[in-house]
Amino acid sequence: MDTAHIRNFCIIAHIDHGKSTLADRLLHLTGTVPDRDTTEQILDSMDLEREKGVTIKASAVRMSYTAADGQQYEMNLIDTPGHVDFGYEVSRALAACEGAVLVVDATQGIEAQTLANLYLALGAGLEVLPVINKIDLPSADPVGVAQEIANLLGGDAQAVLPISAKEGTGVPALLERIVEHIPPPKGDSSAPARALIFDSHYDPYKGVIAYVRVVSGQIRMGARFKLMATGVQGEPLEIGVFTPGMTPTGELSAGEVGYVATGLKTVQQCRVGDTLTLAANPAPEPLPGYQKAKPMVFAGLYPVDGEDYANLKEALDKLQLNDASLTFEPETSQALNFGFRCGFLGLFHMDIVQERLEREYDLDILATAPSVEYEVLLTSGETRLIDSPADLPDESVIEAVREPWMRIQIFTPETYYGTIMELVTRRRGAFVEQEYPAPGRVLLTYDIPLAELIVDFYDQLKSRTRGYASLDYQFHSYRQEDLIKLQILINEEPVDALAMIVHRAEAYAKGQALVSKLKELIPSQQFTIPIQAAGGGRIISRANVRALKKDVLAKCYGGDISRKKKLLEKQKRGKRRMKMVGAVEIPQEAFMAVLRLGDD
Amino acid sequence: MGRPESQPQNLSIYIAIPFCQVRCAYCDFNTFAGLDDLMAPYARALAREIRLVGEAAAGRPVHTIFFGGGTPSLLPLLVYQDIFAVLRGAFALTTDCEITLEANPGTVDAAYLLGLRALGVSRLSFGVQSTHASELRLLDRLHSFEDVRQAVALARAAGFDRASHGLNLDLIFGTPHQTLAMWQASLLRVLALEPEHLSLYALSLEHGTPLRSWVQRGLLPMPDADLAAEMYGWAGELLAAHGYGQYEISNWALPEKAEGRSRRSDPQVSDLRLLAPGRYQCRHNLQYWRNRPYLGLGAGAHGCAAGWRYSNVLAPGAYIARLEHGVVGEFPFSPAAVERTRQTRADEMGETMLLGLRLTAEGVGGADFEARFGATLAAAYGRRLRHLRGLGLLAWDEAGARLTPAGRLLGNRVFREFV
Ligand SMILES: Nc1nc2c(ncn2[C@@H]2O[C@H](COP(=O)(O)OP(=O)(O)OP(=O)(O)O)[C@@H](O)[C@H]2O)c(=O)[nH]1
Ligand SMILES: C[S@@+](CC[C@H](N)C(=O)[O-])C[C@H]1O[C@@H](n2cnc3c(N)ncnc32)[C@H](O)[C@@H]1O
Ligand code: SF4
Ligand SMILES: [Mg+2]
Repeated sequence: MDTAHIRNFCIIAHIDHGKSTLADRLLHLTGTVPDRDTTEQILDSMDLEREKGVTIKASAVRMSYTAADGQQYEMNLIDTPGHVDFGYEVSRALAACEGAVLVVDATQGIEAQTLANLYLALGAGLEVLPVINKIDLPSADPVGVAQEIANLLGGDAQAVLPISAKEGTGVPALLERIVEHIPPPKGDSSAPARALIFDSHYDPYKGVIAYVRVVSGQIRMGARFKLMATGVQGEPLEIGVFTPGMTPTGELSAGEVGYVATGLKTVQQCRVGDTLTLAANPAPEPLPGYQKAKPMVFAGLYPVDGEDYANLKEALDKLQLNDASLTFEPETSQALNFGFRCGFLGLFHMDIVQERLEREYDLDILATAPSVEYEVLLTSGETRLIDSPADLPDESVIEAVREPWMRIQIFTPETYYGTIMELVTRRRGAFVEQEYPAPGRVLLTYDIPLAELIVDFYDQLKSRTRGYASLDYQFHSYRQEDLIKLQILINEEPVDALAMIVHRAEAYAKGQALVSKLKELIPSQQFTIPIQAAGGGRIISRANVRALKKDVLAKCYGGDISRKKKLLEKQKRGKRRMKMVGAVEIPQEAFMAVLRLGDD
Repeated sequence: MGRPESQPQNLSIYIAIPFCQVRCAYCDFNTFAGLDDLMAPYARALAREIRLVGEAAAGRPVHTIFFGGGTPSLLPLLVYQDIFAVLRGAFALTTDCEITLEANPGTVDAAYLLGLRALGVSRLSFGVQSTHASELRLLDRLHSFEDVRQAVALARAAGFDRASHGLNLDLIFGTPHQTLAMWQASLLRVLALEPEHLSLYALSLEHGTPLRSWVQRGLLPMPDADLAAEMYGWAGELLAAHGYGQYEISNWALPEKAEGRSRRSDPQVSDLRLLAPGRYQCRHNLQYWRNRPYLGLGAGAHGCAAGWRYSNVLAPGAYIARLEHGVVGEFPFSPAAVERTRQTRADEMGETMLLGLRLTAEGVGGADFEARFGATLAAAYGRRLRHLRGLGLLAWDEAGARLTPAGRLLGNRVFREFV
């Protein structure tokens, strides 16, 4: 197809504003997926995505659309995730498109990721088509929201298209607008082939499937490909488009979006962001790639049952094939034995990985509290990166500790200004600036240590603002702070997996809070268990879990053992996620206690 | 389907007598007060059930019978004459068959006890619970400790002596308001009666009992588990000093030829294991704990035989009705059985563990286990046993596995590994 009849666009929005639902309607209207197929959020193909109603992975699909002008267009749609942990997926998707449909929920209005994703799209030079979604809901305020959007993008509020992705209202008009307003891809089919790899997944039969946007030239079956960054060459096993299943076409030309089955066995060989060209006639220059997503939070994952170590490794390997942003390396903990230090994009990402390991691989795993990556300057002059608090060397050999700070944007009704300010300063954050992109609402910018952000910050923000505030964040810089290690001793033994790095001024309060939380969470066992917190060379706090003296059924009910078994079964269910540390059984929640020390 | 056994195993029979004068405040057994009118038809139904099941059992030897309650001593002697006649006709009782009957103090006289002994009852079990009037009142018991003394004297005179299978007394500890001193006094008074067997039960607050609701409503203090543990420890030492050997979490017995209350050192576990099952240990209850077959007869009775666990309908009226038209069924079921669960091999192994580990002295024998299941303990449960041993709750060696003293009080932590 000539490029004049191609439209490449993605759908961007704040989380839950209806991107995937809109994609469904588009697929139905264009006949790509029959209307009878009543599955919702068709592109959310993972079980977990469906269950949580959240898009985790961007997905691409090709639609064929006959417009009002009677002409047929090839439309390539990329649905993106809304959660900020997956913001990098959005920037990849943007690089493969000429336009973006910006969805704004008519009941919520503009939120933090609406702004963040909009700026990303504008920055990537995309044509942005705003729509107001969910106008079927009684609480919708399409007029007010249209005005917010007009203030933001300039232009006429009347021109913003109101739609209901759920009921289909306005969606045919949107298709027309896409044809009219989103420019066709520019690209020379006769130039040397260059295709941007914007995503990938692993297929056990076809190897790594690279999702590509062909920028110039042509790729086709029989022509060996070359990956420009890694130099890897290969023969394509299959070339095609998503409809939304993989449909072979044998070739892809400039402007088109599709896939190449590379036959490669690791995602490392076929990196997202790399440029695919032809081995016979390689392009002189690769396309500008984008940066690899960098893990921000780190946690240890351990099998509850030590014998599952190899299974955990295998499962992580497999997950990584489809999730290049997941990193892991073996880690040994005195308390938890053998496991893996894993890097995640954020807490939500971490949750998802944990859940997939348990569900898809049937593993009982235990996660330690997430930590950030510190830069530690030693007196020897050496700098070390430390992503596990237990690894922080002794104070005497430390010159300085630097921690990652984030720049955050909070978009909120003005009324919550005070409580947000209080929350942020309590977490060592500093005010940067404020803006008023919409009437009655303010966009607050702060800098805050990432370590403070990952500890329950978002939940606190939501509860203090009754759900009205939304949050976006990006890495800002490393800053030197007075940080020390807080150690926890259980039964006189330091438990490395419970150590945390805290600001010296907060060590006392945090130590006390953690000890009393642990006292609640660690169940009584057959002996008294002392719990202590130590920091800066002294014991800060202590408490005892009293010994359990008696837990036994005295009686025999005339041979009725089913009753006894029921009681034991009930007890047992409570025990699944416990880990033996020395002679003490510690439940999973204890390792997460640092996240729930509370702000009150 | 029962697995082939090398030789036919002796059976045990539990017979439920679900009648009481009043319901005690702590008790949630399947028993009924005020249904005395049903006793006669109940006894007839029971006789019929014995005949039907006996026929299906096809002559397998029976080495223990236990009349449990409820209050079996409420049924008149004449009724027992009929029941015993039927029992002996339907089953092959071994010559030294242990036949226990639970009796409430204050419900028996000399003639009654003599009559039972003559019929073949060889062991009596009295519910004493406490020796303090205040506690007996709180628990809604109808008798005094003086009644217990008299009942014991009558029983001895009737031949429930060292030549029989002995006399058991039940006590409950850890009741609200009970002090350690009160418990000690009760134990000492009971020891003075020189029972061959003692059952010491920690009070459990069962759902639906008045005692539990009083505690929940704050009318009574919540029993203190730590204090109960102390009472238990103290009782264990005292009983050992009086020559009683503990063989189950809640049960102690004198060795067969104990001379009065001679002090003796704590028996080595292995020595005890070498002794033949003591004459005064309750052979019937051992049958449960060793996970050997037993039949349950009467309303609400549970049984386990031929690869099934099953139980009878609870209400005496329903039980009677079901037996009116019942016919011989497949062994071991009677027409009154309402719940049946097939035992898989895994169930049977797990139950062998969680029952056998209640036996504090013998535990689960390694050789027995292997002979029964064709797998060693290590192969079947190695990981769990090592874990529990690491916690100090379990001793495990070539001979087998058993609870440590610490494990006795925390038995649930051990047992739940096997469900
Ligand atoms: N009433 C109504 N509900 C809608 C509409 N569009 C979407 N929804 C609902 O809004 C919720 C979120 O929709 P999704 O399509 O999953 O939103 P999303 O933007 O893809 O969400 P993420 O992928 O998590 O960022 C779902 O419960 C949808 O059913 C609409 O037009 N009207
Ligand atoms: C079912 S009773 C039958 C004996 C007889 N009816 C009597 O009460 O003497 C057996 C024993 O179980 C014990 N028992 C019953 N309910 C109990 C409870 N809730 N907690 C502890 N022991 C209990 C008592 O010691 C009682 O003697
Ligand atoms: S304890 Fe004994 S007498 Fe009291 S109600 Fe229960 S069975 Fe009846
Ligand atoms: Mg979605």
